[in-house]
This record gives sequence, C-alpha cells and structure tokens, in this order.
Amino acid sequence: MTLTLEKSSHSTLTLTVNGEKHSFMLGEGPHEVASSHTLAHTLRERLGLTGTKISCDNGACGCCTVLINGKAVQSCMLLTVECEEKEITTIEGLGDPVTNVIDPLQQSFIDHTAFQCGFCTPGIIMSAKALLNENPSPTRDEVKEALSGNFCRCISHYHVLDAVMAAAKKGGNQ
Amino acid sequence: MKLFAHVNAYSVDETIKLLAKYEGTAKLNAGGTDLLGVLKNRILPNYPEVIINIKSIPGLNTIEEDEEGINIGTLTTLADIIASPVIEKNYSLLKEAAGTVASPQIRNIATIGGNLCQDTRCWYYRYPDEVGGMIKCFRKGGKTCPAVSGENQYHAIMGAKKCFAVCPSDTAIALIALGATLTIAGAEGTRTLPVEEFYTPLGSVLNSGEMIAAIYIPKPSSVAGQRFLKFTLRKPIDFAIVSVASIITHDQGVCFDARIVLGAVAPTPVRALKAEEFLKGKELSEEIAAEAAGLAMAEAKPLSKNAYKLEIAKTLVKRLVMGLT
Ligand SMILES: Cc1cc2nc3c(=O)[nH]c(=O)nc-3n(C[C@@H](O)[C@@H](O)[C@H](O)COP(=O)(O)OP(=O)(O)OC[C@H]3O[C@@H](n4cnc5c(N)ncnc54)[C@H](O)[C@@H]3O)c2cc1C
Ligand code: SF4
Ligand code: FES
Ligand code: FES
Repeated sequence: MTLTLEKSSHSTLTLTVNGEKHSFMLGEGPHEVASSHTLAHTLRERLGLTGTKISCDNGACGCCTVLINGKAVQSCMLLTVECEEKEITTIEGLGDPVTNVIDPLQQSFIDHTAFQCGFCTPGIIMSAKALLNENPSPTRDEVKEALSGNFCRCISHYHVLDAVMAAAKKGGNQ
Repeated sequence: MKLFAHVNAYSVDETIKLLAKYEGTAKLNAGGTDLLGVLKNRILPNYPEVIINIKSIPGLNTIEEDEEGINIGTLTTLADIIASPVIEKNYSLLKEAAGTVASPQIRNIATIGGNLCQDTRCWYYRYPDEVGGMIKCFRKGGKTCPAVSGENQYHAIMGAKKCFAVCPSDTAIALIALGATLTIAGAEGTRTLPVEEFYTPLGSVLNSGEMIAAIYIPKPSSVAGQRFLKFTLRKPIDFAIVSVASIITHDQGVCFDARIVLGAVAPTPVRALKAEEFLKGKELSEEIAAEAAGLAMAEAKPLSKNAYKLEIAKTLVKRLVMGLT
C-alpha cells in the first residue's frame, strides 16, 4: 500500500466546503483522505456533513448532489483528490451562516411539505438551487428537466415542483 | 473503492509518458462517471494501480470553430456541448445526442472523450465483485458469454459473434453520422481516425498507451437535416435500448444524400449502408421509409429475449426518414 501511495503525485489536500478550508493528509488513516475516496464519502465521513446522502453510489439517483462552482454534480462520482481549488457547497452551506435562517428554497420545501422520508431532499434542493442560480424564473418544464437526475422513492415530485416554482416566484434565490 | 495511486497529468505528452511508464496498469480518469462505477464494483480482472487524472490538462475543454468545421477538446463536458451556440447552429445532432445522456448532474462532469471510451453496460460484465464474484465472461478473457442463454433483452441483435454487449455511447452515433474524426495521441505521435473506424467488437482500436485528444467535425451542408432519436424506458438516466442518428439531405422530397447510424443494436455503432444507398434518388414517403428501415435491419438475428429491439429499431429509422419524432 505504501508503494501505491508513493506513486501518487501529491500528499496533502485542501478542500473548500461551504466557504471553509479543510486540509487533509493523503492516506488511509482515520482522519486522512485516500486517493480512492469519493467526495460524498469525504463530506460525510471526514467532515461530518451528513446532509449529503449516499444511496446508489453509482451516479444514478442524485441523493449525493452538491454544487461545485455553482453547478450540480453527484459527489459519489467524484474523487475527493480531484476537488481541490473548487468551491464545494453542500446542503449545510445554504442559508445564512450568521442568522442561521435557512434558505428560502429550503423554507419553500417545508411550506409545501415537499418530502416524506426526506432522504432525497438535500440532493433535490441542491439541484434546484443550481437551476435557480442560473435561471431565477424557470418554467415548470425547466424545473422538471433540472431535477430529472434526482429520484424520490416517496413520490414527492409534485410537491417538489410546487415548492421550487413558489420559491422562484418569490425571487427566493438569494 | 480499492486504493490506487493518483497522479495529475498536466499535458498530453506527460499523459502518454505516464501511460508508458505504468505499462497497462494505469487508467485515465476524465469525468469519472463511467470509470468510478467500474472501479467501485471491481468488474475488471485487473484493478488499475494508478489513476491518471487528465482533467488537470489545460486547453482540452474548448470548442474551436473554423470555416471547415469544429474541433472539440476531449475534456469538453456534455453540458458545455449542449450549451454551445456553434454546436446548436451547425451540429445540432450532437447537441441532441448529448442532451439524452444520463442526467444534468452527470452531463456537468461527463466528457465527450469519456463518452466515446466508456465501457459496455452488459449487466453480466458489470456484475459487482462483492456480490458473489465478478463474472469472467468472454469479453474479460473467459470462455463463455452468459448473456446468450441468459437475460439478453438489452443485448445485440446484429453483428455479434462471441460477445453480445452493445456500445452504449450516444454521442458516438451522432459523431459517425456527422463524419467526425478523432485525434489520438500516443508514443509515436498523433494519428487521426474516423470515429466510424474507432470501435471493435470488444472495445476500440485505442491501445493502452494512447489517449483521445480531440474530436474534429467537418461542417455539414446547411441544407442537411440532422436528427437523433433514442428509445428508452425512462427519459432520464437510462441508456438507449436503440438509438439512431441521421443526416439526410433532400430537395423537394427527393433524397440525394443519407447517412444513418444505429446505436445499441450491435457491439459497435452500425452504419445502415444499404438503407443509405437505397434512399438516394428516392422520393421520401412512408413506404420508402419502411423499406429503408427493413434494409437497415436486414442482417438482424435477435437473441432469445430481444426481438422487440428489431421492431423499435425499424420504427426509429422510419421516423428518422419521415422527419417524425
Ligand atoms: C447513471 C448513468 C447513466 C448514464 N447514461 C448514459 C447514456 O444515456 N448515454 C451515454 O452515452 N452514456 C451514459 N452514461 C455513461 C457516462 O459515464 C458517459 O456518458 C460519460 O460521458 C463518460 O464520460 P466521463 O468523462 O465521465 O468518462 P470517464 O469515466 O472519465 O472515462 C470513461 C472511460 O474512458 C476512458 N477515457 C476517458 N477519457 C479518455 C481519453 N481522452 N482518451 C482515452 N480514454 C479515455 C477512461 O479511462 C475510462 O475507461 C451514464 C452513466 C451513468 C453513471
Ligand atoms: S455479452 Fe459480452 S460482456 Fe456481456 S456477458 Fe457476454 S461476453 Fe460478457
Ligand atoms: S448516491 Fe450519488 S447518485 Fe446516487
Ligand atoms: S421523500 Fe423519500 S425519497 Fe424522496
């Protein structure tokens, strides 16, 4: 294993998550990040940011969606070591860090009861967030398209659409 | 995922040197949306020792246009291809194909080069090692193909001999219809190759010391109609059950040029040469379209559970020719 690591071209790693920098040693220890770790794993197991969920772990469900430089991506399909120098935003990074008031988009999900078990919700909110950042007043079809990579086993889709449309109408994308 | 060494490459030359240094034990990682699945499930007989990140190479994610065509860097994401005004205007076929791939999140990181080089999706081939051991089928150097007498509903209906897995790439058929060529870098320098000649029944002609650097598409005639159709059970996420791409030029209903390419019906993308030839000079009608569809699938020999794909393929070809959706 040491041999494997010696071949790697780097030994430390700095991630920027929700505006904060975190440095890691590259390795297999309990506080280290291994070259084979996915971003989803690192967020949950090293940074304790368990809002990001892992379900399929294969790029097919959207539960692990986070923003990288503002774009929605699936964190289970990214190697952590390839996420340096990128702005990573997780569900924990929404809302106001000073007042602790949640993001209007999150509030809209609550107001519309846009979830049942809630497992898919962080991923859906991050995909919706990416859409609203780019397109503050989307049509219903544009919302559907933007959320087409997010699956919900509880069939909350209709409420989700309402929640995102309502948030957009309120200009709730600050 | 099992551990590997991880190296960032900063140029094509460096990548080629690294590939030579690690002699077949290294794998390139572009977007990783295919590779990570392959690694997580340990489906390959030899797990790579080194992963070479090529996203760190600058300048390979651009779309450059000149009078004769466009050059797309291998690292260009599918999302960037879809958003490109140049591609929308003159190469809409590629935009349509890229737009049907996976989901918005995947398209944000998946690259065009990775799309062309992705491994097959045959579910025996992809069977995870941790669930009872990976399946060493013919494609992995084994002796048999469990799909022949097993669950073969998504497998090849033509052109297969020993491995019946299909080429899953949606962009490949669009690029072949557009007559695109690849720039491939290797230890002996670069070579160019039509995308049409890239695929082989068990993969591609790319050797383990090479990488795709760019894709060149000659500008199609502005009167040529470009179309892409893909049949799936669900709209997002699903791979094609059958996909078709075409460029058909006609003058007042009389066809004078046609290129038709089918995906997910055979181990490689298939050009429907007989149908293309047949269409030239014909006045396009429903009967002519049906006849062309029949010719496109003339050599089909479905397996036990996938004869339905034949009907889907014929219908899609017919719709292409008729300009229907
Ligand atoms: C849920 C899901 C759904 C999908 N649906 C579709 C679909 O509908 N249609 C479709 O076409 N695809 C689909 N895909 C496959 C998707 O992975 C590809 O479309 C994607 O474009 C691959 O690009 P990448 O950059 O992520 O490739 P990577 O995973 O980085 O690479 C794929 C392979 O190509 C090799 N490679 C990458 N770049 C180069 C290069 N420049 N030169 C040589 N070799 C290279 C890598 O070593 C690797 O073996 C899906 C994938 C998932 C996970
Ligand atoms: S179709 Fe090909 S990949 Fe699938 S099991 Fe048969 S030999 Fe293996
Ligand atoms: S857990 Fe990442 S897409 Fe399903
Ligand atoms: S609310 Fe349960 S999976 Fe979506």
